[in-house]
Amino acid sequence: MAVIFLLTIAFVAIGLFEIPALVRNKHWRELAVFSVFFVLAFILALLQAADVKIPSPVKGMEYLFKDILKLSYY
Amino acid sequence: MRLERGIISSSQLTFLVAGYVQGSVMVVAITNIITKQYTWLVVLSGLAASIPLAMVYIALARKFPGKDLIQINRIVYGPYLGKLVSALYIWFFCSIAGFMLTYVGEIIKYYMMPETPKYAICILFACICAWTVRNGIEVLARTSVIFVMIIIFVILITFFLLLKDMQLTNFLPFFDLSLKDFIQGTHVMLTLPFSEIVVFLMVMPYVNKGVEAKKSVILGLIIGGVSILIDTVRNTAVLGVTSTIMVSPSIESVRLIDLAEIITRLEMLVITLLLIAMFIKVSVMYYGSVLGIARLFNLRSYRPLVLPIGSIIVSLSILSFTYLAQNVGFATGTGPFFTLTFEFSPVITLLIAKIRKLPK
Repeated sequence: MAVIFLLTIAFVAIGLFEIPALVRNKHWRELAVFSVFFVLAFILALLQAADVKIPSPVKGMEYLFKDILKLSYY
Repeated sequence: MRLERGIISSSQLTFLVAGYVQGSVMVVAITNIITKQYTWLVVLSGLAASIPLAMVYIALARKFPGKDLIQINRIVYGPYLGKLVSALYIWFFCSIAGFMLTYVGEIIKYYMMPETPKYAICILFACICAWTVRNGIEVLARTSVIFVMIIIFVILITFFLLLKDMQLTNFLPFFDLSLKDFIQGTHVMLTLPFSEIVVFLMVMPYVNKGVEAKKSVILGLIIGGVSILIDTVRNTAVLGVTSTIMVSPSIESVRLIDLAEIITRLEMLVITLLLIAMFIKVSVMYYGSVLGIARLFNLRSYRPLVLPIGSIIVSLSILSFTYLAQNVGFATGTGPFFTLTFEFSPVITLLIAKIRKLPK
């Protein structure tokens, strides 16, 4: 629980650090892209902090290269 | 429209490339498993094979002056396919940065702080990289000059201090390497340390004299390659075939330095050196992915994206590998093919650009 709390504080700090300047300069496009990646990063970190099993992206790459394309040394 | 206001000189580019190549010195340790005491041979052949690829990258950068990889993809492949290719490249940069961050965590955890969780180290290291990336390429290029000097100095000093421990019989028998192992080792060396300089296609537009970039990239590649070679020769000469079972042969061999019981325990020097080199590598990859995303979405500044992307890279580094053995398995088995796809596709881009007679 403490980890999730700390994580939320860190992400709120990132938001407070970046968003005011973007709003003040009316950089709406930057704000939209920033929000998408911010939410993605927050969800990823939150799932890991809550001990949810996320499949490793390496497994996907190995499946694509080893099992479908047959490109691997092992 | 310029995303990055900084400009780097071509000599700074040389040092940046050299530091970047040295960042993969861990991968050389992995190659030891395949090629035993012949790693020096594989380093040389990998370096020789990577120079033509580097020439292709430079030719591409000179064909489209002032354009980075994302813009080149958009011109050559058209708006939709170009966006897809660029997105794949950004994924490649992000994942390599994540894998490198895992190495940092593992090394610190294995040799210095066994009780500390890996993510604490990864987050702290990523914070420094984020700070650097936010300050721009100019800062990174300037620091890399000092860092590469330190790296070369330490490598030479440890080489001379270990001269009395070296046994040249460790290299024998010469050339007793099967062809399959040789090809696999060369492939790993070509793709993982040397040809990952494909990310410099993102940096190339900010070099002040585009014409001299060719010489400086090749020179940087050779400086990095030779220092990796010196490292490998030292490790093999001191440790012999034993180096195949060690996580980091450089640290284990430098540990043996004992000069009248006064100059001992120099392995911390090597860990510092690994961290410095990894810092350059992670920062350049991180910078490439952040700049790529900003370019892909046509943003006016890349700075707001630095922290979210850094957080994603840290998440990737933690969830990709649970044990170091998985990392080694990926780097020697599937990894070379994964990276070669991205490193070879600039050749195809250059061919298509030639056929379509771009830029008009």
